[in-house]
Amino acid sequence: MLARKIVLGVLGLIWLVPVYLLLANASKLPAEFGSYGLWEPGTLGGLWQNMLDAWSRGKLNSGVLSTAIYAIVAPAIAVVVGAAAGFAIVALRLRNGFFWLVVIFAASIFPLQMILMPLFVGYAQTGLFNTRLGMILVYTVIAVPFSAFVMRNFFTGVAHHVFEAAVVDGASTWRIFWRIYLPMAVPALVAVFILQATFVWNDLLLGLTLTQSAEVRPIVTALSALQSTYGGSTMSTVLAGGLLVSLPTVVLFLATQRIFTRGLSLGQF
Amino acid sequence: MSAPTARRAELLPRGKKPKNPYWVSSIGFVAPGVLLVAVVLYLPFIWTSWISLNEYSGLGDPEFVGIENFTAMFADPGFLVSLRNTLFWVIGTILLPVGLGLLIAVLSHGMRGATWFRLPFLVPYAISGVAVGVIWSFVLQTNGALSQAMAFLHLPGADLRWLLDGPLNTVMMILAASWQGAGVNALLFGIGLQSIPKEPIEAARVDGASGFTLFRTMTWPMLAPLTTVVVGLAIVGSLKTFDVVWAMTQGGPGRVSETLALTMYKETFVNNDYGLGAAVALFLTVITVLASILYLRRQLADSRSM
Repeated sequence: MLARKIVLGVLGLIWLVPVYLLLANASKLPAEFGSYGLWEPGTLGGLWQNMLDAWSRGKLNSGVLSTAIYAIVAPAIAVVVGAAAGFAIVALRLRNGFFWLVVIFAASIFPLQMILMPLFVGYAQTGLFNTRLGMILVYTVIAVPFSAFVMRNFFTGVAHHVFEAAVVDGASTWRIFWRIYLPMAVPALVAVFILQATFVWNDLLLGLTLTQSAEVRPIVTALSALQSTYGGSTMSTVLAGGLLVSLPTVVLFLATQRIFTRGLSLGQF
Repeated sequence: MSAPTARRAELLPRGKKPKNPYWVSSIGFVAPGVLLVAVVLYLPFIWTSWISLNEYSGLGDPEFVGIENFTAMFADPGFLVSLRNTLFWVIGTILLPVGLGLLIAVLSHGMRGATWFRLPFLVPYAISGVAVGVIWSFVLQTNGALSQAMAFLHLPGADLRWLLDGPLNTVMMILAASWQGAGVNALLFGIGLQSIPKEPIEAARVDGASGFTLFRTMTWPMLAPLTTVVVGLAIVGSLKTFDVVWAMTQGGPGRVSETLALTMYKETFVNNDYGLGAAVALFLTVITVLASILYLRRQLADSRSM
């Protein structure tokens, strides 16, 4: 057991080296960047200044609200839509339910590249290009297949007499879904939500393709622009920007790790 | 009012299934999912397939040219480099993040404080591909942190141009992506290990199996279904690789580190050659679907029998 702990510990430390380099260099003021070695920590005071700098230069402030909206609203709608599909297939015994599950889930296999151009053209024609509504729509749809897959598996594990008992009590299917099945599925819903929220927050490709203005653009796209615009002189600013953009998902993910693991093992793939 | 049960349905003569009393609501509940997927994913999918047979710049009408885009695609040396790099990505992503994930999961399984030991590997997973690219570009820049450390330790290779020479830059980006992806695989394998029944493992242990033998003969075979999923996800994910490459080299210098996902993006949105971009996208889709058919078929067959 001790040998295993040592191996894991050493591996873990190696994993943290890039994180250390990020923190050490994001905290050096641009002016003092050259005077420290890359492996030396800077003066910690620089971190805050660099973050502010990245925030304003990268125009992160205008995108952060949009990104937060996308990362919360889209997965929230998607888990409910996915759960509804799972409910129809498992509890309501939808005819050819397995076929419909495949229809929904198979959509997640082909690469996003296949839909980029039509979405770009279609969004331009319908006025959805560069709008928050358009981004919420596409992120929701991207999250639906996985959500339906996990939720269907989750509901398969629920005894059917739960449904029958509710029917005997006179509840409508609508009510059974919202009042019994959905509340019961909270751990799985949360797990799927976290996974998809992380995906949406970190998305680059759709943001790059379907948005233009700083207000609508997801911040990862803004970070990418910040990186390519400024060279080595403001490396610390770019690194601080990377840190800033990553903090929300890292905190969310680590804080909810247990719920996440439990929810997914309940969903059992 | 009686609810139909599976048992009752089985008692009825064959071919005479009773009408599902909830068929209207069942369609209502499944409809939003199916409609959204159909309109936003399947319709565009069909349109891109069609455009791959056309010459189209986004303006005016598409002009039908048959398989010309595909012949042009295979005649392009840049595409072949991109294809080779994508193959590297697939192989590298199966070997490194999946292998490391398995190692981490097995080592930390049943350990006190396993959550804490897994934490360093989960941090990179939650970071976006762009931020991963930002960090690793910094580490790997010419005479950057890695080169300096190697020079300090008098290791050979300190003068390598990590991100400027191919295929070295692709290899380095695969390492960066492995740094990001190992943690989630460890998480998935950890879930799999927890669901393995304890009795057969204990029995094998009593029979004298331990360490690697125990793993090879008992644990590994029982993990097989999950391994299929993890490897399948790794293949699909690596074929779509975009953001890490975009952030680290943008496919360059020239086109030496492009992947198919990047080639498609550039042909479509930089060169405005929608037809060629669509052809690359379709090609990418075909190999992705072929690669995932095996794993998906097995997965769905398993869950159908539940």
